[in-house]
Amino acid sequence: MVTRNLNKRQIDLEIISEWVEPKSRVLDLGCGRGVLLQNLKSEKSIYGVGVDTDPIKINGCIKRGVNAYQGEIGGILKEFSDKTFDVVICSRTVQELTNPANVIFEALRVGRAVMIGFVNHGYWVNRFNMVFKGNRVINDVYPQHWYESSPENPVTINEFELFCKESQIRIQRKVYLSGDWDTKLTFLPNLLSGYALYEIAR
Amino acid sequence: MTEIQLELDSDNLSKNIGLVKYVDFTSTETFIFEGGGSINGFTLRYETYGRLNDKKNNAILICHAISGDHHCAGKYTVEDRKPGWWDNMVGPGKAIDTNLFFVICSNCLGGCQGSTGPSSLDPVTGKPYRLDFPSLTIRDIVRAQNLLIEYLNLNELYCVVGGSMGGMQVLQWAIDYPDKVKRILPLASAARQSAQAIAFNEVGRCSIVQDPGWKEGNYSRGEGPSVGLSVARMMAHITYLSDKGMEIKFGRNRRKDTKGHHLTKIEFEVEGYLRYQGQAFINRFDANTYLYFSKAIDRFDLHGEAGKLEDILSKVQARALIIGFTSDWLYTPRQNREIVTALLRCGKNATYAEVDMDLGHDSFLIDAPELYNFVRSFLND
Repeated sequence: MVTRNLNKRQIDLEIISEWVEPKSRVLDLGCGRGVLLQNLKSEKSIYGVGVDTDPIKINGCIKRGVNAYQGEIGGILKEFSDKTFDVVICSRTVQELTNPANVIFEALRVGRAVMIGFVNHGYWVNRFNMVFKGNRVINDVYPQHWYESSPENPVTINEFELFCKESQIRIQRKVYLSGDWDTKLTFLPNLLSGYALYEIAR
Repeated sequence: MTEIQLELDSDNLSKNIGLVKYVDFTSTETFIFEGGGSINGFTLRYETYGRLNDKKNNAILICHAISGDHHCAGKYTVEDRKPGWWDNMVGPGKAIDTNLFFVICSNCLGGCQGSTGPSSLDPVTGKPYRLDFPSLTIRDIVRAQNLLIEYLNLNELYCVVGGSMGGMQVLQWAIDYPDKVKRILPLASAARQSAQAIAFNEVGRCSIVQDPGWKEGNYSRGEGPSVGLSVARMMAHITYLSDKGMEIKFGRNRRKDTKGHHLTKIEFEVEGYLRYQGQAFINRFDANTYLYFSKAIDRFDLHGEAGKLEDILSKVQARALIIGFTSDWLYTPRQNREIVTALLRCGKNATYAEVDMDLGHDSFLIDAPELYNFVRSFLND
Protein backbone atom coordinates (compact mmCIF):
# COMPACT_ATOMS: atom_id res chain seq x y z
CA MET A 1 0.00 0.00 0.00
CA VAL A 2 1.37 3.46 -0.87
CA THR A 3 1.41 6.19 1.73
CA ARG A 4 -1.39 8.64 1.11
CA ASN A 5 -0.21 12.07 0.20
CA LEU A 6 -1.92 14.82 2.19
CA ASN A 7 -1.13 17.47 -0.40
CA LYS A 8 -2.71 15.36 -3.10
CA ARG A 9 -5.84 15.04 -0.97
CA GLN A 10 -5.78 18.76 -0.28
CA ILE A 11 -6.02 19.80 -3.94
CA ASP A 12 -9.44 18.14 -4.34
CA LEU A 13 -10.64 19.90 -1.24
CA GLU A 14 -9.32 23.24 -2.43
CA ILE A 15 -10.82 23.13 -5.90
CA ILE A 16 -14.17 21.75 -4.79
CA SER A 17 -14.33 24.18 -1.88
CA GLU A 18 -13.72 26.99 -4.34
CA TRP A 19 -16.51 25.80 -6.61
CA VAL A 20 -19.16 25.26 -3.90
CA GLU A 21 -21.27 28.35 -3.21
CA PRO A 22 -21.75 29.46 0.42
CA LYS A 23 -24.78 28.04 2.21
CA SER A 24 -25.30 25.34 -0.44
CA ARG A 25 -26.90 22.00 0.26
CA VAL A 26 -24.20 19.44 -0.45
CA LEU A 27 -24.37 15.66 -0.80
CA ASP A 28 -20.97 13.93 -0.76
CA LEU A 29 -21.02 10.43 -2.25
CA GLY A 30 -18.16 8.40 -0.80
CA CYS A 31 -17.53 11.00 1.90
CA GLY A 32 -14.85 9.05 3.78
CA ARG A 33 -14.23 10.50 7.23
CA GLY A 34 -16.04 13.72 6.39
CA VAL A 35 -13.01 16.00 6.02
CA LEU A 36 -14.33 17.79 2.93
CA LEU A 37 -17.79 18.35 4.41
CA GLN A 38 -16.38 19.56 7.71
CA ASN A 39 -14.23 21.97 5.76
CA LEU A 40 -17.18 23.21 3.68
CA LYS A 41 -19.28 23.53 6.82
CA SER A 42 -16.79 25.78 8.57
CA GLU A 43 -15.65 27.73 5.49
CA LYS A 44 -18.89 28.09 3.57
CA SER A 45 -21.65 27.34 6.11
CA ILE A 46 -23.10 24.61 3.94
CA TYR A 47 -25.67 21.97 4.92
CA GLY A 48 -23.92 18.70 4.16
CA VAL A 49 -24.70 15.01 4.07
CA GLY A 50 -22.08 12.33 3.46
CA VAL A 51 -22.59 8.78 2.27
CA ASP A 52 -20.23 5.87 2.87
CA THR A 53 -20.47 2.13 3.42
CA ASP A 54 -17.61 1.82 5.88
CA PRO A 55 -18.65 2.13 9.57
CA ILE A 56 -15.17 3.32 10.55
CA LYS A 57 -15.48 6.21 8.12
CA ILE A 58 -19.00 6.96 9.36
CA ASN A 59 -17.57 7.12 12.87
CA GLY A 60 -15.05 9.68 11.59
CA CYS A 61 -17.96 11.78 10.28
CA ILE A 62 -19.78 11.52 13.61
CA LYS A 63 -16.64 12.71 15.41
CA ARG A 64 -16.46 15.71 13.09
CA GLY A 65 -20.12 16.55 13.57
CA VAL A 66 -20.80 15.85 9.89
CA ASN A 67 -24.13 14.29 8.86
CA ALA A 68 -23.54 10.89 7.34
CA TYR A 69 -25.50 7.95 6.03
CA GLN A 70 -24.03 4.49 6.25
CA GLY A 71 -25.24 2.66 3.18
CA GLU A 72 -25.11 2.22 -0.54
CA ILE A 73 -24.99 5.28 -2.77
CA GLY A 74 -27.74 3.94 -5.05
CA GLY A 75 -30.06 3.41 -2.09
CA ILE A 76 -29.82 6.89 -0.62
CA LEU A 77 -30.11 8.70 -3.97
CA LYS A 78 -33.55 7.12 -4.49
CA GLU A 79 -34.71 8.71 -1.24
CA PHE A 80 -34.34 12.28 -2.48
CA SER A 81 -36.60 14.17 -4.83
CA ASP A 82 -35.30 16.17 -7.81
CA LYS A 83 -32.85 18.99 -7.02
CA THR A 84 -32.85 18.39 -3.27
CA PHE A 85 -29.18 19.39 -3.25
CA ASP A 86 -27.30 22.24 -4.89
CA VAL A 87 -24.23 20.10 -5.33
CA VAL A 88 -23.54 16.37 -5.37
CA ILE A 89 -19.86 15.54 -4.93
CA CYS A 90 -18.36 12.39 -6.31
CA SER A 91 -14.68 12.83 -5.49
CA ARG A 92 -12.53 9.71 -6.02
CA THR A 93 -15.66 7.58 -5.84
CA VAL A 94 -16.62 7.02 -9.47
CA GLN A 95 -13.97 4.33 -10.01
CA GLU A 96 -15.52 2.12 -7.32
CA LEU A 97 -19.10 2.17 -8.60
CA THR A 98 -20.64 -0.86 -10.27
CA ASN A 99 -22.75 1.15 -12.66
CA PRO A 100 -21.27 4.65 -12.79
CA ALA A 101 -23.70 5.97 -15.43
CA ASN A 102 -26.73 5.20 -13.23
CA VAL A 103 -25.20 6.93 -10.25
CA ILE A 104 -24.16 9.95 -12.30
CA PHE A 105 -27.66 10.27 -13.80
CA GLU A 106 -29.24 9.93 -10.35
CA ALA A 107 -26.79 12.46 -8.91
CA LEU A 108 -27.73 14.87 -11.72
CA ARG A 109 -31.39 14.37 -10.86
CA VAL A 110 -30.93 14.90 -7.10
CA GLY A 111 -28.46 17.78 -7.45
CA ARG A 112 -28.37 20.96 -9.51
CA ALA A 113 -24.72 20.26 -10.26
CA VAL A 114 -22.40 17.29 -9.81
CA MET A 115 -18.69 17.61 -9.06
CA ILE A 116 -16.63 14.64 -10.15
CA GLY A 117 -12.93 14.04 -9.65
CA PHE A 118 -11.00 11.01 -10.89
CA VAL A 119 -7.58 9.66 -11.80
CA ASN A 120 -6.97 9.82 -15.55
CA HIS A 121 -5.87 6.42 -16.78
CA GLY A 122 -4.91 8.02 -20.07
CA TYR A 123 -2.04 9.84 -18.32
CA TRP A 124 1.21 8.86 -20.08
CA VAL A 125 2.83 7.47 -16.92
CA ASN A 126 -0.16 5.20 -16.38
CA ARG A 127 -0.02 4.12 -20.03
CA PHE A 128 3.73 3.58 -19.81
CA ASN A 129 3.34 1.43 -16.70
CA MET A 130 0.77 -0.72 -18.44
CA VAL A 131 2.40 -0.97 -21.88
CA PHE A 132 6.06 -1.30 -20.96
CA LYS A 133 6.08 -2.61 -17.44
CA GLY A 134 2.76 -4.45 -17.62
CA ASN A 135 1.77 -2.96 -14.25
CA ARG A 136 -1.52 -1.33 -13.40
CA VAL A 137 -1.83 2.05 -11.70
CA ILE A 138 -0.91 2.41 -8.05
CA ASN A 139 -1.40 5.88 -6.54
CA ASP A 140 -3.39 7.78 -3.91
CA VAL A 141 -6.74 6.86 -5.38
CA TYR A 142 -5.70 3.30 -6.25
CA PRO A 143 -3.50 2.54 -3.25
CA GLN A 144 -3.84 -1.23 -3.24
CA HIS A 145 -2.46 -4.02 -5.37
CA TRP A 146 -4.96 -5.95 -7.46
CA TYR A 147 -5.11 -8.80 -4.95
CA GLU A 148 -6.24 -6.66 -2.03
CA SER A 149 -8.59 -4.22 -3.77
CA SER A 150 -12.23 -4.24 -4.77
CA PRO A 151 -13.16 -4.19 -8.47
CA GLU A 152 -12.16 -0.87 -9.94
CA ASN A 153 -13.15 0.93 -13.06
CA PRO A 154 -10.33 2.71 -14.86
CA VAL A 155 -11.52 5.80 -16.74
CA THR A 156 -9.80 8.34 -18.97
CA ILE A 157 -10.50 12.00 -19.62
CA ASN A 158 -11.45 11.27 -23.22
CA GLU A 159 -13.85 8.50 -22.23
CA PHE A 160 -15.51 10.64 -19.56
CA GLU A 161 -15.97 13.64 -21.85
CA LEU A 162 -17.35 11.42 -24.60
CA PHE A 163 -19.80 9.94 -22.11
CA CYS A 164 -20.93 13.45 -21.13
CA LYS A 165 -21.42 14.41 -24.75
CA GLU A 166 -23.40 11.27 -25.60
CA SER A 167 -25.54 11.61 -22.47
CA GLN A 168 -26.23 15.31 -23.09
CA ILE A 169 -24.47 16.30 -19.90
CA ARG A 170 -23.11 19.83 -19.81
CA ILE A 171 -19.57 20.32 -18.53
CA GLN A 172 -19.76 23.64 -16.66
CA ARG A 173 -16.25 23.71 -15.26
CA LYS A 174 -13.20 21.52 -15.49
CA VAL A 175 -9.66 21.41 -14.20
CA TYR A 176 -6.87 19.16 -15.45
CA LEU A 177 -3.99 18.59 -13.08
CA SER A 178 -0.58 17.41 -14.14
CA GLY A 179 1.14 14.31 -12.76
CA ASP A 180 1.88 16.02 -9.45
CA TRP A 181 -1.91 16.58 -9.07
CA ASP A 182 -1.16 20.19 -8.33
CA THR A 183 -0.19 22.23 -11.41
CA LYS A 184 -3.11 23.00 -13.70
CA LEU A 185 -2.70 22.33 -17.41
CA THR A 186 -4.73 22.54 -20.61
CA PHE A 187 -2.51 21.01 -23.28
CA LEU A 188 -3.22 17.39 -24.31
CA PRO A 189 -5.01 16.61 -21.06
CA ASN A 190 -5.76 12.96 -21.81
CA LEU A 191 -2.06 12.29 -22.22
CA LEU A 192 -0.53 14.76 -19.78
CA SER A 193 -3.03 15.08 -16.97
CA GLY A 194 -2.90 12.75 -13.96
CA TYR A 195 -6.11 13.93 -12.37
CA ALA A 196 -9.28 15.66 -13.57
CA LEU A 197 -12.10 17.50 -11.83
CA TYR A 198 -15.43 18.45 -13.42
CA GLU A 199 -18.59 20.25 -12.58
CA ILE A 200 -21.39 18.84 -14.71
CA ALA A 201 -25.09 19.57 -15.00
CA ARG A 202 -28.10 18.84 -17.17
CA MET B 1 -0.53 -10.74 40.80
CA THR B 2 1.78 -8.65 38.64
CA GLU B 3 1.78 -4.89 38.60
CA ILE B 4 0.25 -4.74 35.15
CA GLN B 5 -2.61 -6.98 36.18
CA LEU B 6 -3.30 -4.83 39.22
CA GLU B 7 -3.40 -1.76 37.07
CA LEU B 8 -5.83 -3.38 34.67
CA ASP B 9 -8.08 -4.49 37.50
CA SER B 10 -8.18 -1.08 39.12
CA ASP B 11 -8.94 0.39 35.72
CA ASN B 12 -11.89 -1.94 35.37
CA LEU B 13 -13.14 -1.05 38.83
CA SER B 14 -12.99 2.64 38.08
CA LYS B 15 -15.33 2.05 35.15
CA ASN B 16 -18.16 0.66 37.22
CA ILE B 17 -20.53 3.08 38.74
CA GLY B 18 -20.71 1.33 42.10
CA LEU B 19 -23.73 1.47 44.36
CA VAL B 20 -26.77 3.43 43.27
CA LYS B 21 -30.17 4.34 44.72
CA TYR B 22 -33.51 5.01 43.13
CA VAL B 23 -35.68 8.02 43.84
CA ASP B 24 -39.43 8.55 43.45
CA PHE B 25 -40.85 11.68 41.84
CA THR B 26 -44.50 12.31 42.54
CA SER B 27 -46.69 14.71 40.62
CA THR B 28 -49.89 15.66 42.46
CA GLU B 29 -51.53 17.26 39.46
CA THR B 30 -54.17 15.52 37.38
CA PHE B 31 -52.57 13.83 34.37
CA ILE B 32 -54.77 13.73 31.29
CA PHE B 33 -53.93 11.03 28.77
CA GLU B 34 -53.66 11.58 25.02
CA GLY B 35 -56.46 9.10 24.34
CA GLY B 36 -58.75 10.52 27.05
CA GLY B 37 -59.06 9.59 30.72
CA SER B 38 -57.02 10.90 33.59
CA ILE B 39 -55.39 9.97 36.88
CA ASN B 40 -54.98 12.06 40.01
CA GLY B 41 -51.22 12.44 40.01
CA PHE B 42 -48.60 9.79 39.50
CA THR B 43 -45.20 8.58 40.61
CA LEU B 44 -42.15 7.93 38.43
CA ARG B 45 -39.25 6.00 39.86
CA TYR B 46 -35.87 7.10 38.53
CA GLU B 47 -32.14 6.94 39.07
CA THR B 48 -29.43 9.49 38.33
CA TYR B 49 -25.70 9.03 37.87
CA GLY B 50 -22.92 11.59 37.54
CA ARG B 51 -23.23 15.28 38.36
CA LEU B 52 -25.16 18.11 36.80
CA ASN B 53 -22.78 20.90 35.78
CA ASP B 54 -23.26 24.55 36.73
CA LYS B 55 -24.67 25.43 33.32
CA LYS B 56 -27.15 22.56 33.67
CA ASN B 57 -26.47 21.51 30.09
CA ASN B 58 -24.96 18.06 30.52
CA ALA B 59 -28.06 16.01 31.31
CA ILE B 60 -28.74 12.83 29.34
CA LEU B 61 -32.09 11.08 29.62
CA ILE B 62 -32.19 7.33 29.00
CA CYS B 63 -35.52 5.80 27.97
CA HIS B 64 -36.03 2.10 28.57
CA ALA B 65 -37.53 -0.67 26.44
CA ILE B 66 -40.72 -2.66 27.12
CA SER B 67 -39.31 -4.88 29.86
CA GLY B 68 -36.67 -2.44 31.11
CA ASP B 69 -36.79 -0.13 34.09
CA HIS B 70 -35.12 2.83 35.79
CA HIS B 71 -32.23 0.72 37.05
CA CYS B 72 -29.87 1.05 34.13
CA ALA B 73 -26.45 1.07 35.80
CA GLY B 74 -24.72 0.09 39.03
CA LYS B 75 -25.92 -2.14 41.85
CA TYR B 76 -28.12 -1.49 44.87
CA THR B 77 -26.02 -3.68 47.16
CA VAL B 78 -22.67 -5.38 46.68
CA GLU B 79 -24.51 -8.71 46.87
CA ASP B 80 -26.66 -7.95 43.79
CA ARG B 81 -26.06 -10.68 41.26
CA LYS B 82 -26.42 -8.36 38.27
CA PRO B 83 -25.97 -4.62 37.71
CA GLY B 84 -28.53 -2.41 35.87
CA TRP B 85 -29.60 -3.34 32.33
CA TRP B 86 -27.21 -0.95 30.51
CA ASP B 87 -24.28 -1.08 32.90
CA ASN B 88 -21.93 -1.88 30.00
CA MET B 89 -22.87 1.44 28.35
CA VAL B 90 -23.28 3.80 31.31
CA GLY B 91 -20.58 4.58 33.86
CA PRO B 92 -17.38 6.48 34.53
CA GLY B 93 -15.26 6.38 31.36
CA LYS B 94 -17.88 4.30 29.51
CA ALA B 95 -19.55 5.32 26.23
CA ILE B 96 -22.18 7.30 28.15
CA ASP B 97 -19.60 8.74 30.51
CA THR B 98 -20.90 9.62 33.97
CA ASN B 99 -17.70 11.61 34.57
CA LEU B 100 -18.95 14.01 31.90
CA PHE B 101 -22.71 13.68 31.95
CA PHE B 102 -25.56 13.76 34.43
CA VAL B 103 -27.54 10.69 33.44
CA ILE B 104 -31.21 10.19 34.29
CA CYS B 105 -33.14 6.98 33.71
CA SER B 106 -36.83 6.98 34.57
CA ASN B 107 -39.30 4.16 34.74
CA CYS B 108 -42.18 4.69 32.29
CA LEU B 109 -45.66 5.79 33.26
CA GLY B 110 -47.82 2.66 33.18
CA GLY B 111 -44.92 0.57 34.46
CA CYS B 112 -44.84 -1.86 37.33
CA GLN B 113 -41.53 -1.20 39.02
CA GLY B 114 -42.27 1.76 41.22
CA SER B 115 -43.98 4.04 38.71
CA THR B 116 -47.73 4.44 38.54
CA GLY B 117 -49.37 1.84 36.35
CA PRO B 118 -52.33 -0.55 36.25
CA SER B 119 -51.19 -2.37 39.40
CA SER B 120 -50.92 0.86 41.43
CA LEU B 121 -53.60 1.96 43.86
CA ASP B 122 -56.02 4.57 42.58
CA PRO B 123 -56.07 7.17 45.38
CA VAL B 124 -59.75 7.84 44.65
CA THR B 125 -61.03 4.28 45.04
CA GLY B 126 -58.23 2.85 47.17
CA LYS B 127 -58.10 -0.12 44.78
CA PRO B 128 -55.65 -0.94 41.99
CA TYR B 129 -56.49 0.75 38.67
CA ARG B 130 -56.17 -2.48 36.74
CA LEU B 131 -57.99 -1.98 33.42
CA ASP B 132 -59.43 1.34 34.60
CA PHE B 133 -55.96 2.76 33.98
CA PRO B 134 -56.44 5.02 30.94
CA SER B 135 -55.24 3.93 27.53
CA LEU B 136 -51.52 4.73 27.26
CA THR B 137 -49.39 6.10 24.39
CA ILE B 138 -45.68 6.75 23.90
CA ARG B 139 -46.55 10.46 24.03
CA ASP B 140 -48.11 10.03 27.47
CA ILE B 141 -44.96 8.28 28.69
CA VAL B 142 -42.81 11.14 27.35
CA ARG B 143 -45.04 13.87 28.76
CA ALA B 144 -44.86 12.29 32.21
CA GLN B 145 -41.06 12.11 31.91
CA ASN B 146 -41.04 15.78 30.96
CA LEU B 147 -42.76 16.62 34.26
CA LEU B 148 -39.88 14.84 35.99
CA ILE B 149 -37.36 16.85 33.92
CA GLU B 150 -39.18 20.07 34.87
CA TYR B 151 -39.15 19.03 38.52
CA LEU B 152 -35.37 18.48 38.21
CA ASN B 153 -35.22 22.07 36.99
CA LEU B 154 -33.64 21.21 33.65
CA ASN B 155 -34.32 23.50 30.71
CA GLU B 156 -32.38 21.41 28.27
CA LEU B 157 -31.37 17.83 27.68
CA TYR B 158 -27.97 17.34 26.09
CA CYS B 159 -29.22 14.07 24.66
CA VAL B 160 -32.12 11.64 24.91
CA VAL B 161 -31.06 8.04 24.33
CA GLY B 162 -32.95 4.76 24.11
CA GLY B 163 -33.35 1.48 22.26
CA SER B 164 -36.48 -0.24 20.91
CA MET B 165 -39.55 1.20 22.71
CA GLY B 166 -37.02 3.56 24.31
CA GLY B 167 -36.06 4.76 20.81
CA MET B 168 -39.71 5.57 20.10
CA GLN B 169 -39.77 7.73 23.23
CA VAL B 170 -36.56 9.42 22.06
CA LEU B 171 -38.17 10.37 18.73
CA GLN B 172 -41.31 11.60 20.50
CA TRP B 173 -39.15 13.71 22.83
CA ALA B 174 -37.51 15.45 19.86
CA ILE B 175 -40.93 16.10 18.28
CA ASP B 176 -42.82 17.27 21.39
CA TYR B 177 -40.01 19.25 23.07
CA PRO B 178 -37.84 20.49 20.18
CA ASP B 179 -36.44 23.45 22.11
CA LYS B 180 -35.39 21.35 25.05
CA VAL B 181 -33.75 18.41 23.33
CA LYS B 182 -30.33 19.09 21.76
CA ARG B 183 -29.44 15.61 20.54
CA ILE B 184 -31.24 12.32 20.09
CA LEU B 185 -29.86 8.82 19.85
CA PRO B 186 -32.48 6.17 19.11
CA LEU B 187 -31.16 2.64 18.65
CA ALA B 188 -32.87 -0.40 17.08
CA SER B 189 -36.02 1.67 16.76
CA ALA B 190 -38.78 2.54 14.30
CA ALA B 191 -41.00 5.45 13.35
CA ARG B 192 -43.94 3.09 13.45
CA GLN B 193 -44.64 -0.43 14.49
CA SER B 194 -44.68 -2.81 11.51
CA ALA B 195 -47.49 -5.29 10.85
CA GLN B 196 -45.19 -8.16 11.77
CA ALA B 197 -44.23 -6.56 15.08
CA ILE B 198 -47.91 -5.85 15.88
CA ALA B 199 -48.64 -9.48 15.05
CA PHE B 200 -46.07 -10.74 17.55
CA ASN B 201 -47.39 -8.40 20.24
CA GLU B 202 -50.91 -9.63 19.58
CA VAL B 203 -49.88 -13.25 20.13
CA GLY B 204 -48.36 -12.16 23.43
CA ARG B 205 -51.52 -10.35 24.47
CA CYS B 206 -53.73 -13.30 23.50
CA SER B 207 -51.54 -15.58 25.53
CA ILE B 208 -52.03 -13.34 28.60
CA VAL B 209 -55.76 -12.67 28.32
CA GLN B 210 -56.63 -16.29 27.58
CA ASP B 211 -54.90 -17.47 30.73
CA PRO B 212 -57.72 -18.06 33.27
CA GLY B 213 -55.50 -16.39 35.87
CA TRP B 214 -55.91 -13.05 34.08
CA LYS B 215 -59.55 -12.72 35.31
CA GLU B 216 -60.33 -9.81 32.97
CA GLY B 217 -57.36 -8.01 34.47
CA ASN B 218 -58.68 -8.35 38.03
CA TYR B 219 -56.07 -10.73 39.44
CA SER B 220 -54.71 -10.00 42.91
CA ARG B 221 -51.18 -8.95 43.71
CA GLY B 222 -48.88 -11.95 43.67
CA GLU B 223 -51.28 -13.87 41.43
CA GLY B 224 -52.08 -13.43 37.76
CA PRO B 225 -51.74 -15.03 34.33
CA SER B 226 -48.28 -16.41 34.98
CA VAL B 227 -48.44 -19.03 32.22
CA GLY B 228 -49.77 -16.54 29.70
CA LEU B 229 -47.22 -13.90 30.64
CA SER B 230 -44.29 -16.29 30.54
CA VAL B 231 -45.33 -17.64 27.12
CA ALA B 232 -45.70 -14.05 25.87
CA ARG B 233 -42.21 -13.31 27.11
CA MET B 234 -40.75 -16.48 25.58
CA MET B 235 -42.19 -15.63 22.22
CA ALA B 236 -41.15 -11.98 22.41
CA HIS B 237 -37.67 -13.07 23.38
CA ILE B 238 -37.32 -14.98 20.12
CA THR B 239 -38.03 -11.76 18.23
CA TYR B 240 -35.21 -10.05 20.16
CA LEU B 241 -32.65 -12.61 18.98
CA SER B 242 -31.71 -13.87 15.54
CA ASP B 243 -31.49 -17.17 13.72
CA LYS B 244 -27.71 -16.95 13.55
CA GLY B 245 -27.33 -15.71 17.11
CA MET B 246 -29.39 -18.63 18.45
CA GLU B 247 -27.45 -21.07 16.33
CA ILE B 248 -24.19 -19.78 17.80
CA LYS B 249 -25.44 -19.64 21.37
CA PHE B 250 -27.43 -22.88 21.52
CA GLY B 251 -27.25 -24.79 18.26
CA ARG B 252 -28.93 -28.15 18.79
CA ASN B 253 -27.23 -28.64 22.15
CA ARG B 254 -29.14 -31.01 24.40
CA ARG B 255 -29.47 -31.43 28.11
CA LYS B 256 -28.17 -34.69 29.56
CA ASP B 257 -30.67 -37.45 30.35
CA THR B 258 -33.00 -36.52 27.54
CA LYS B 259 -33.27 -40.04 26.21
CA GLY B 260 -36.64 -41.72 26.32
CA HIS B 261 -40.03 -40.51 25.26
CA HIS B 262 -40.63 -37.08 26.79
CA LEU B 263 -42.77 -34.44 25.21
CA THR B 264 -42.71 -31.75 27.87
CA LYS B 265 -39.33 -32.03 29.58
CA ILE B 266 -36.59 -29.64 28.53
CA GLU B 267 -34.61 -31.44 25.85
CA PHE B 268 -32.77 -28.69 23.94
CA GLU B 269 -30.75 -25.95 25.60
CA VAL B 270 -32.70 -23.28 23.74
CA GLU B 271 -35.90 -24.55 25.37
CA GLY B 272 -34.32 -24.25 28.80
CA TYR B 273 -33.15 -20.75 28.04
CA LEU B 274 -36.59 -19.56 26.91
CA ARG B 275 -38.38 -21.19 29.86
CA TYR B 276 -35.93 -19.49 32.21
CA GLN B 277 -36.60 -16.13 30.52
CA GLY B 278 -40.35 -16.70 30.86
CA GLN B 279 -40.13 -17.67 34.53
CA ALA B 280 -37.79 -14.81 35.44
CA PHE B 281 -40.19 -12.38 33.79
CA ILE B 282 -43.31 -13.33 35.77
CA ASN B 283 -41.46 -12.67 39.00
CA ARG B 284 -40.73 -9.07 38.06
CA PHE B 285 -43.35 -7.93 35.60
CA ASP B 286 -47.04 -7.17 35.74
CA ALA B 287 -49.21 -8.70 33.01
CA ASN B 288 -51.47 -5.65 32.68
CA THR B 289 -48.48 -3.35 32.26
CA TYR B 290 -47.32 -5.69 29.49
CA LEU B 291 -50.69 -5.26 27.75
CA TYR B 292 -50.58 -1.46 28.11
CA PHE B 293 -46.97 -1.11 26.96
CA SER B 294 -47.34 -3.43 23.98
CA LYS B 295 -50.46 -1.52 22.86
CA ALA B 296 -48.64 1.81 23.26
CA ILE B 297 -45.90 0.47 20.99
CA ASP B 298 -48.35 -0.90 18.42
CA ARG B 299 -50.19 2.43 18.22
CA PHE B 300 -46.98 4.37 17.74
CA ASP B 301 -46.96 5.82 14.22
CA LEU B 302 -45.07 8.96 13.32
CA HIS B 303 -46.24 8.72 9.72
CA GLY B 304 -49.56 10.10 10.90
CA GLU B 305 -52.74 10.16 8.88
CA ALA B 306 -51.09 11.67 5.81
CA GLY B 307 -48.59 8.81 5.86
CA LYS B 308 -45.70 11.24 5.56
CA LEU B 309 -42.93 11.02 8.12
CA GLU B 310 -41.57 14.48 7.21
CA ASP B 311 -44.77 16.20 8.36
CA ILE B 312 -44.00 15.41 11.97
CA LEU B 313 -40.20 15.15 11.84
CA SER B 314 -39.97 18.71 10.49
CA LYS B 315 -40.51 19.81 14.11
CA VAL B 316 -37.26 18.21 15.23
CA GLN B 317 -34.44 20.61 16.13
CA ALA B 318 -32.08 18.11 17.76
CA ARG B 319 -29.11 16.57 16.02
CA ALA B 320 -29.79 12.89 15.51
CA LEU B 321 -27.72 9.75 15.42
CA ILE B 322 -29.85 6.75 14.53
CA ILE B 323 -28.23 3.36 14.97
CA GLY B 324 -29.59 0.21 13.34
CA PHE B 325 -28.38 -3.36 13.66
CA THR B 326 -27.85 -5.56 10.63
CA SER B 327 -29.36 -8.68 12.23
CA ASP B 328 -32.37 -6.91 13.79
CA TRP B 329 -35.47 -8.31 12.10
CA LEU B 330 -37.95 -6.77 14.57
CA TYR B 331 -36.97 -3.12 13.94
CA THR B 332 -35.02 -3.64 10.75
CA PRO B 333 -32.18 -1.49 9.38
CA ARG B 334 -34.62 -0.31 6.71
CA GLN B 335 -36.98 1.07 9.37
CA ASN B 336 -34.11 2.83 11.13
CA ARG B 337 -32.82 4.25 7.85
CA GLU B 338 -36.25 5.57 6.99
CA ILE B 339 -36.11 7.90 10.01
CA VAL B 340 -32.76 9.31 8.87
CA THR B 341 -33.72 9.82 5.23
CA ALA B 342 -36.92 11.62 6.29
CA LEU B 343 -34.94 13.88 8.63
CA LEU B 344 -32.43 14.61 5.85
CA ARG B 345 -35.25 15.41 3.43
CA CYS B 346 -36.38 18.00 5.99
CA GLY B 347 -32.86 19.46 6.02
CA LYS B 348 -32.21 18.26 9.58
CA ASN B 349 -28.89 17.13 11.00
CA ALA B 350 -29.07 13.36 11.09
CA THR B 351 -26.72 10.42 10.76
CA TYR B 352 -27.37 6.75 10.18
CA ALA B 353 -24.86 4.23 11.48
CA GLU B 354 -25.24 0.47 11.40
CA VAL B 355 -23.64 -2.11 13.63
CA ASP B 356 -23.05 -5.53 12.15
CA MET B 357 -23.72 -8.03 14.94
CA ASP B 358 -25.35 -11.44 14.96
CA LEU B 359 -27.53 -10.93 17.98
CA GLY B 360 -30.70 -9.48 16.49
CA HIS B 361 -32.80 -6.73 18.05
CA ASP B 362 -31.14 -7.09 21.48
CA SER B 363 -27.74 -6.21 19.93
CA PHE B 364 -28.07 -2.72 21.37
CA LEU B 365 -27.73 -4.15 24.88
CA ILE B 366 -24.64 -6.21 24.13
CA ASP B 367 -21.00 -5.42 24.81
CA ALA B 368 -19.80 -4.13 21.41
CA PRO B 369 -16.88 -1.72 20.88
CA GLU B 370 -18.25 -0.59 17.46
CA LEU B 371 -21.44 0.55 19.15
CA TYR B 372 -19.57 2.28 21.98
CA ASN B 373 -17.45 4.14 19.41
CA PHE B 374 -20.51 5.53 17.63
CA VAL B 375 -22.15 6.59 20.90
CA ARG B 376 -18.97 8.12 22.28
CA SER B 377 -18.18 10.00 19.05
CA PHE B 378 -21.70 11.43 18.93
CA LEU B 379 -21.82 12.51 22.57
CA ASN B 380 -18.30 13.93 22.68
CA ASP B 381 -17.92 15.62 19.28
